[in-house]
Amino acid sequence: MLQRLGPDPLRSHLPAIFTVDPRSGVPIYLQLIDQVKRGVALGTLAPGEQLPTVKSLALELTVNPNTVARAYRDLERDGVIETSPGRGSFVRPNGVAPSELRTDVAGPAFDDAVRAAKGVGLGRDEVRQIFERTLQRWYPGEEER
Amino acid sequence: MNESQPVIAFDHLTKRFGSFEAVSDLTFGVAAGSICGLLGPNGAGKTTAMKCLLGFLHPSSGSALVDGAAVGPKTFEYLSYVPETPALFGDLTVRQHVELDRRSQPRHDPARAAELLRTFDLDLRKRVKALSKGQKTALALVLALASRPRVLVLDEPSSGLDPIFQRVVLDLLIEVATEGGTVLFSSHQIGQVERAADHVAILRAGKLMLHSDVETLKGSEKVVEATFEGSVPELDGRLDGGAVRRIERAGNMVRVSVKHDEEEIARRIQALGPTSLRVVDRNLEDIFLDVVAEKG
Repeated sequence: MLQRLGPDPLRSHLPAIFTVDPRSGVPIYLQLIDQVKRGVALGTLAPGEQLPTVKSLALELTVNPNTVARAYRDLERDGVIETSPGRGSFVRPNGVAPSELRTDVAGPAFDDAVRAAKGVGLGRDEVRQIFERTLQRWYPGEEER
Repeated sequence: MNESQPVIAFDHLTKRFGSFEAVSDLTFGVAAGSICGLLGPNGAGKTTAMKCLLGFLHPSSGSALVDGAAVGPKTFEYLSYVPETPALFGDLTVRQHVELDRRSQPRHDPARAAELLRTFDLDLRKRVKALSKGQKTALALVLALASRPRVLVLDEPSSGLDPIFQRVVLDLLIEVATEGGTVLFSSHQIGQVERAADHVAILRAGKLMLHSDVETLKGSEKVVEATFEGSVPELDGRLDGGAVRRIERAGNMVRVSVKHDEEEIARRIQALGPTSLRVVDRNLEDIFLDVVAEKG
């Protein structure tokens, strides 16, 4: 049986939201940023919650520690997390609103969907009809105000 | 990270064996806290460069320094080296090797050694000649890391290891770097470098072809990937402008490598009505193959 390295407390039980694929074509630090934002948007990461240390996340995912540090720096700059020296990194209690992050996370999915629709030759009105039908399915009974 | 004062520094290093130049005018450095992956085909000069750094070979010209000085006996108190073929004694047991290391290495940490032996699941009673290739590599790594080195130089550190232990080795390198250590490792497995390294150096025929930050390098050229219903339409003439480096087709998919202006290229391909389109970074393997295949 394989034993992982390092003292056990370092290996906090991380939420499964952190995974990376080095070959996906998306830089690893952007994958991490996206996952933290997604976590905050979904509430998996609560305001004030502590994030894994750079070291433990780097070891957990087997990625370069500087890559993790870069993701944390960018998240701090974007107001999503805050880092206090010696204590660690935390989801900012009064940081970017989860609703704002939700828009960040959902936006690209719409982009892909509309691109696919356009790609198969659908016109603007047809796309709008599909969108209305989809809205109806997921938000039944909620009429447009 | 202090890039101006690298811990490991190759400075115009050249090493000749007779008329053969194994390493030619090699210059690059590895900073503290950094992991640098050294890539190159067989015979590119990776091992020779490392041996010059460690003082096992004398440079023909130029230098290879650690902390600004040539390596001496004192250096090995904080520098560990794992050669491609570890120097182990076939008739001695794993326990005897650890004991030898404890006596010869002032910074040997028995608790760390025990932890590493458990990690690699090594049997202390076994003689080295009864170990598999991977287990020998593992033992060499245990001995190298038992002294908690600040500088680590490894030549193909995971040869013979299964994928799980390869991952463990990468974690060990990452651990050294998070504690401020400096790591230089050669590998044929580009995926390892892609994961663990922040910098990469590519050698070919003794020359440094490329030295860069990994993420910057991968992002420096983009790939526009598009899939079409049916077949890929004719692209000739539609993507003119000099930014396109390469167009690859496979079935109903096309991958266009572009140096810059990827948004413009993406827009032009979009106009052809693909079913999907995305702009991604290149992977290190493609970059490596390009660099190594380039006409020299």
